[in-house]
Amino acid sequence: MLKSANLRIGETILGLASLGLGLFIGAETWLTPPIVAQTVIGPGLFPALIATGLVLVGLQLLYEAFLYRLQAEDFPELDWKSVVLVASAFASQLVLLERLGWVISGTFLFVISAMAFGSRTHLRNLAIGLLLTALTYLVFDYGLDLDLPTGSYLEDLIALAGGPV
Amino acid sequence: MNMDTLAALFHGFAVAATPYNLFWSLVGVTLGTAIGVLPGIGPALTVALLLPVTYGMEPTSAFIMFAGIYYGAMYGGSTTSILLNTPGESASIVTALDGHAMARKGRGAQALATAAIGSFVAGTIATIALTFVAPLMVKIALLFGPTEYFALMVLALTTVTAVLGDSLSRGLASLLFGLALGLVGIDLQTGQARFTLGISELLDGIDVVVVAVGLFAVGETLFTVARHCFETEELYQLKGSKWLSREDWRRSWKPWLRGTALGFPIGALPAGGSEIPTFLSYLTEKRLSKNPEEFGHGAIEAVAGPEAANNASAAGVLAPLLALGLPTSATAAIMLAAFQQYGIQPGPLLFDNNPELVWGLIASLYIGNVMLLLLNLPLAGVWVKLLAIPRPWLYSGILLFATMGAYTLNNNIVDVALLWIIGLIGFGMRVLNVPVAPCIVGLILGPLAEQQFRRALTISQGDATVFFTHPISLALIVIALTLVIVPTLLRWRAQRQASGAANHI
Repeated sequence: MLKSANLRIGETILGLASLGLGLFIGAETWLTPPIVAQTVIGPGLFPALIATGLVLVGLQLLYEAFLYRLQAEDFPELDWKSVVLVASAFASQLVLLERLGWVISGTFLFVISAMAFGSRTHLRNLAIGLLLTALTYLVFDYGLDLDLPTGSYLEDLIALAGGPV
Repeated sequence: MNMDTLAALFHGFAVAATPYNLFWSLVGVTLGTAIGVLPGIGPALTVALLLPVTYGMEPTSAFIMFAGIYYGAMYGGSTTSILLNTPGESASIVTALDGHAMARKGRGAQALATAAIGSFVAGTIATIALTFVAPLMVKIALLFGPTEYFALMVLALTTVTAVLGDSLSRGLASLLFGLALGLVGIDLQTGQARFTLGISELLDGIDVVVVAVGLFAVGETLFTVARHCFETEELYQLKGSKWLSREDWRRSWKPWLRGTALGFPIGALPAGGSEIPTFLSYLTEKRLSKNPEEFGHGAIEAVAGPEAANNASAAGVLAPLLALGLPTSATAAIMLAAFQQYGIQPGPLLFDNNPELVWGLIASLYIGNVMLLLLNLPLAGVWVKLLAIPRPWLYSGILLFATMGAYTLNNNIVDVALLWIIGLIGFGMRVLNVPVAPCIVGLILGPLAEQQFRRALTISQGDATVFFTHPISLALIVIALTLVIVPTLLRWRAQRQASGAANHI
């Protein structure tokens, strides 16, 4: 019972998402003032085609969700708490990464996500997280000339202590 | 036999056999085997994560490494399927059926051996086929104008969508989502910004790396964490004799060859992918077998055939990628993005402009196959140890590398934000059983298809009938339509019969 109800909700969400995206692209394309250019086909035709496709598929999915007799499909049971935990740890990177730097913020992500996966050896996870992030920081910033952030707060601290920035 | 091709191939060996390129080939096949063995990471994700790192590398060496990863993942995928019953790649789903049954009976080593030797046989034969088919494809491609290219891309997009997954509407939703993501950024022909939502970082478009890593790494990790407390893993250790008996050889060699014969052509067609040939190979072996009742309970043919088929299809997929610039799998789509990163356009001209890249790459496949056989046969036990990595560390590590890959693309946090959003979408797709590959291929092929579409219409001065009056283009579009309509009709008829039968009761 519960499973097929979930599936119906899922199918409805998918249909609505598709429909919504289609309408958004359609509206954007419609409302954008046309550019005057010497081209036979403007920049609006392809988006319009894709928008039409999305709307049609969205309607079809909604039709399937409500009017079709759904075949018994496996809708997986999900542990939502762990998903939210990992997703929020990841979201925290958006704030932390450039401020606290790759090593601290990456280690935080590692520890929280390992916890969500059921690991209880927090200290060991911390050590592995630190090792991985420190190693990649050194390889990327000194070996490959790519820039993993040191962290603006840390840079301020180093500057305060009179060190090189 | 074409002497030019052979001469070009020998030249390719001269390129691939330099110590520097041999080194990158070895790195590629080792890395490929490792990520093939590890659940949660596949070749598409790995190549995507390596793109920023390889930016400064010689293109030839980078592609030799990428191809090694692609081939290596096909070898390594079987290990996870056989010993853990959780396929590392979609191409190894079928292998898990009988491979795991063999492992339960204590014949895991034989299953791994027939998979490795079968992969070698198939990989080598298919690479020979690639050597001679790719130049032929180039000759055909030279006849193509924008109209034909557009039709070909429509065919590729349709088949990737129609063939994968069991619901056409879900495949289409995934494809259209990918196409929509491909629209973001500045329109190259008019300079108009499209769907950038006022965010200047989006003017360059959404990077395929972010999408691939978001869908494959972040989405997959979220799905695994949601499921980890409901699933238990049971790892079967290798024990007993490691060698194939005479009986095993006798039962394996024909499935290897038949698997190759199915894998290469299907991989090379714009229908693409490696899932279909592995399923077809399984069905063929079951039908031809004298003891079909053994299938599902550890028949060695059911491991030998599909494993050969998936390696042969990996070679097949490279033919349209190199000769036409047409990716038919997620990994090929990422490799096309890699070509674009180096400013190289794969297609017929690639064989003239960058012969040392093309032929060096193809030659490296022969060498990589030998390396893989040596890496996988005697060292099978070493790879098995990788499976002992605790899952919390493995998946947290994947998240870490995903974040790193997204951030180092352009050194801005917007890409990490996009990665997060696309990761959540990927999680939703995974839960709702929406295939991911159409989205990736759509994102890469969409902008190219639009370009060809507008070129074709510019040449015809706005006359849209060109797609139906050019014979090659018409044929390709008819095939594409057939692929969508026929399965839908069949399903509809089956349903009507089912409901008709229900009414009679």
